[in-house]
Amino acid sequence: MNPPSNRMIELVHVQRDFRRADGQRVQAVVDVSFVIPEGQFVCLVGPSGCGKSTLLQMLAGLLPTSSGGIVVDDKEISGPGPERGVVFQKDSVFPWMRVIDNVEYGLKCRRVPAAERREIARSYLRQVGLSHVERAWPRELSGGMLKRVAIATVFANGGRVLMLDEPFSALDYVTRRQLQDVLLNLWSADKSGVRKTVLFVTHDVDEALALADRILVFRSGCQVDDIPVEKERPRSADSLLEPDMIAIKRKLLHHIGLDRPALPDAPAA
Amino acid sequence: MPEAAKSAVTSWAAADRSPPSAAAHRSNENAAPRVSGRLTLSLRSGIRAVDPLRFLGLIIFVLAWYALSFLFQPIILPPPQAVLFRLLADFWDAPNLSYYGVAEPNLYANLVYTAENVAIAVLCGAAIGVVSGLVSARVSIFRAIVDPIMTTAGTVPILVAAPFLLIWFGVGRASAVGLVIFYVTVIMYLFAQKAASNLNPIYEEFARTLGASPRRIIIDLLLPATVPEILGGLRIALAGAWGLEAISELLGSQEGMGKVLEVLAGATDPEGIMATLLLLGFVAISVDAVVAWAVARVTGWNAGLHSGGSQT
Repeated sequence: MNPPSNRMIELVHVQRDFRRADGQRVQAVVDVSFVIPEGQFVCLVGPSGCGKSTLLQMLAGLLPTSSGGIVVDDKEISGPGPERGVVFQKDSVFPWMRVIDNVEYGLKCRRVPAAERREIARSYLRQVGLSHVERAWPRELSGGMLKRVAIATVFANGGRVLMLDEPFSALDYVTRRQLQDVLLNLWSADKSGVRKTVLFVTHDVDEALALADRILVFRSGCQVDDIPVEKERPRSADSLLEPDMIAIKRKLLHHIGLDRPALPDAPAA
Repeated sequence: MPEAAKSAVTSWAAADRSPPSAAAHRSNENAAPRVSGRLTLSLRSGIRAVDPLRFLGLIIFVLAWYALSFLFQPIILPPPQAVLFRLLADFWDAPNLSYYGVAEPNLYANLVYTAENVAIAVLCGAAIGVVSGLVSARVSIFRAIVDPIMTTAGTVPILVAAPFLLIWFGVGRASAVGLVIFYVTVIMYLFAQKAASNLNPIYEEFARTLGASPRRIIIDLLLPATVPEILGGLRIALAGAWGLEAISELLGSQEGMGKVLEVLAGATDPEGIMATLLLLGFVAISVDAVVAWAVARVTGWNAGLHSGGSQT
């Protein structure tokens, strides 16, 4: 086993422009550079439209950069790959495959023998608490259970980088909290000894505080802050009320523009 | 951490066990020991699913027909029982047909001829239509070339092609089959293209991040996801194919149900015509029922959903 890489993900002056329907150029991501060491849990926080999802799409290889480079594990990325798993905001579980076949799918694509991949899939289904529905169709599951299937699928595929694009934003509060812990458990229970590097996009400040080792803040396509969160885990609801966490939260709310009441004549962006 | 977190995981797992998943769990348990019971169960639920009002409608129709047949002469409107007896008699042996020059003097052989043509035409038409429809949804240059042809063909009444086919292929099996192939191809092209375009792109993105090759995406995503809509289109194409095949036989053929109808019309034999139509209708409805049953079996994942549709 190689020692953990200090530069698992490296972005160098990454830009992304879009051309709107009216022909105007819009800069979604403006000159973003950062380095993430292996095993770090990083949250990307910012108001909607700040470019954080675009950034994740580029990291996933689903969207090309306009300029700049993205290096993951010493390789410049040129497209999607199984070493970078993605959990999407929308349901991406294939409705025409049973739950267990969904979880196995990435392994099947890489020709892992059937018995071996079934064993891996069962183990992850057990860890997300879905062993009892392995033969069910996705339509028979609730929204929260579908998210568990997607998480199990990505973990079973074994990539070293995990990206999540507002994965829990469509879920109710209770389910969201449960899934945050499911994710943290899987992340910290990694057998190989080296944890996955996680990039978690969210606009929920509390979610970022509960999960992250480090929070990168974005606004209007620019990275505006880089805040370490050194609170030990597990973080209870109470630990979010301790002075150091409140200080971080205040900082985040200030960046987002929620530290003062919105004026009636100045609609929030 | 692990202890607290672990107990939390298990307790949510229990909380998240919503009714549908519990049902799935139950059916899993019962699956092995009750295979024989399942058939009677599905039979019983099948009978229960039949709407008794449908039978009422059928009975009213037959009674009205029966009543009206007293008002008209049999040469105008034969009574239902006469049509039924005629059908049973003509099915194996109808000597009057040979008198009019039909190659096989019974309904059975002509039905087989028509059914063969429908089967060949639907198979060929569906193969061409589905493949070109799926390709057109993925390859824009192919779509740009084929779309105008198919949409034009889809709006023109299909029978205008009949004279050309008669000129090119003569009055035989090829003309009739060609016409039906043409019709089925257009319908299946449109259905397959729509099904493939409706596939939510999130599935393909997810598959690519999991490491699926383009070939795997076609086999594991595009094909299974479009099956429900394509089979739905196939049922529509099949229903039309029976009628079109019979009509094209009317225009020039030595065999088939259409030829029988043409001959009987020439002989002013409404009883025979109705018997032939009754048989054709019965076979078409039976085939549709079998296909509908097969569709339900193949697309169990899709019950009540459209492929690529959102689900919450």
